[in-house]
Amino acid sequence: MEGIVAIWQRDVIKFFRDRARLVGSFAMPFMFLILFGSGMSGAISSMMGGAGSGPLADFDFVQFMFPGIIGMTVFNTAIFSALSVVQDKEFGYMREILVSPISRVSIAIGKVLGGSTVAVFQGLMMLIFVPFIGVAISVMMVLKLIPIMFLVAFTLSSIGLIIASSLKTAQGFQMVIQVLVFPMLFLSGALFPLSGMPAWMNFLVKINPLTYSVDMFKKIILQPEKMEPALRKAMGLDLTVFNHLITFSDEILGVALLGIVFVILATFRFSRAEA
Amino acid sequence: MSNIIEVSGLKKSYKDFEAVKGVDLNVKEGEIFGFLGPNGAGKSTTINMLSTITKPSEGTAKINGYDNVREKNKVRASIGLIFQEPTLDEKLTANENLMLHCKFYSVKKEIREERIQEVLQIVDLTDKRTNIVETFSGGMKRRLEIARGLLHYPKVLFLDEPTVGLDPQTRTHVWEYILKLKKKAGITIFMTTHYMDEAEICDRVAVIDHGELIALGTPEQLKSNVGGDIIEVSTEDNSAAKVLIEKNYQTEVIEIENAHLSFRVAKGSEFLVDFIKQFDIPIKSVNLRKPTLNDVFLQLTGREIRDETVAQKDIRRNKMRRGMH
Ligand SMILES: Nc1ncnc2c1ncn2[C@@H]1O[C@H](COP(=O)(O)OP(=O)(O)OP(=O)(O)O)[C@@H](O)[C@H]1O
Ligand SMILES: [Mg+2]
Repeated sequence: MEGIVAIWQRDVIKFFRDRARLVGSFAMPFMFLILFGSGMSGAISSMMGGAGSGPLADFDFVQFMFPGIIGMTVFNTAIFSALSVVQDKEFGYMREILVSPISRVSIAIGKVLGGSTVAVFQGLMMLIFVPFIGVAISVMMVLKLIPIMFLVAFTLSSIGLIIASSLKTAQGFQMVIQVLVFPMLFLSGALFPLSGMPAWMNFLVKINPLTYSVDMFKKIILQPEKMEPALRKAMGLDLTVFNHLITFSDEILGVALLGIVFVILATFRFSRAEA
Repeated sequence: MSNIIEVSGLKKSYKDFEAVKGVDLNVKEGEIFGFLGPNGAGKSTTINMLSTITKPSEGTAKINGYDNVREKNKVRASIGLIFQEPTLDEKLTANENLMLHCKFYSVKKEIREERIQEVLQIVDLTDKRTNIVETFSGGMKRRLEIARGLLHYPKVLFLDEPTVGLDPQTRTHVWEYILKLKKKAGITIFMTTHYMDEAEICDRVAVIDHGELIALGTPEQLKSNVGGDIIEVSTEDNSAAKVLIEKNYQTEVIEIENAHLSFRVAKGSEFLVDFIKQFDIPIKSVNLRKPTLNDVFLQLTGREIRDETVAQKDIRRNKMRRGMH
């Protein structure tokens, strides 16, 4: 147990110590929100026919993107956290860990928890953008966001660890993650509304765990239940699978189940690789 | 005393290359056991197998009564390991590195502070405790690793070339402490080294070359096997001198680094008097000494075992480049 805490603690300490990374972590979201968000918002609004009046007039692309940006930050941080496993192998510290009596299971769980914690902090840091975007965020929302971010991060960190356990170099890891994360991100509804897609794309979106993860952030921040149905639909907030409208609890349950499956796989994979 | 390390038929192959070719040895509790051999002999590979880092291809090893393959976690709890390559977290402070180690090894909370102070004092890093390791010199990092390896008072401490890169004072200091710790906590030490004087400290030494044990015994036993005294001469014409000495004195002469000749005689001082008077080739220098472990290795393999520092290698490379053999 103390072993898990030690592994977790190390990653958290190192996260807060790495100033360059802290500052750098704002770069991508900032770029997306300001350049992409502001630049595209006119085009997207008019595409949705909402430039004039009617329910779609309320559509604000930057606000729409904000939960997606939080989601993107949490995914990226969580899945990339497993990079530390590869780096520890490269820089030798992994041998110090592996020759100690901590069980492989504890090491894997400590790593996943460390990555998840860091991702939650990173996600919370995105709330700095709130005043500039004009979304109203209450303390209640933040309290809801934290466990959801953790749940999502836990699942993604586990996926990261599965990949990291199979690879020896940081470069290889980065490449695999890149190839994996970008399509998942684009097909999750994080960056633009998913409506009127071709059937095959719709299928990919529906099997993408990130879709439901992002949707949870949207449900907390955008409060679709207070929106006009037409606007909600245009923003792609009515997710259905086999004509069943997906609820918040469905999503928690689904992501949690996935998280459990992936963490078991990750633990197994890591223990096998580093016997 | 019982055996705390029992190794039999230990082998390690990488593809079709045999790095360790069947090692058998036992180490008694409380012993300092030295593993002596040149670069690539298989020292680290053996230590890695004993410490559960590398899986043996064949053979068995038991540490503290536990099997290295089937009871890994029990073995791991019984040992400490100082690797040849650095394994510190350089982004953390010395204290954080040590504290993490305490947690990995379940050192009791109440004694952590005391232990950390103790080991830091030994390696003389007390005032660097809260500094980030990145800012340490190479020697300071090595000292910190040694401190870390001692932190949990392991039953067996494996040291893979522990003092490479340390200045002579620190080396002496570290050895004093290791010997003290051995007395106090009764730990067994298994170490590899290039330094002859470090091998002399060992209770027993195994000499390894090309993955095979070629000698095993106390330093005195090994040296007495060589016997007599060692004469080293350098002459105007070393190759001619070699032939001449071998013919006149029926002893095997080894040429070292094209610089001098080394050979063994029964009674060194008496031999020298006659030798200098009678030898035909002009002598440039002559030296008489007792055999060292280096001579043991030299006799067994015909090669010299030595710790080539980077600087020495560079000098040799430059010489070769300039064609000055
Ligand atoms: N992972 C590996 N794959 C292939 N060959 C290896 C591997 N590890 C070691 N070897 C080979 O095994 C042999 C023994 O290596 P080892 O590291 O045990 O030597 P050593 O005695 O510790 O040498 P040194 O004094 O340089 O540390 C070497 O020839 C090395 O090239
Ligand atoms: Mg070695």
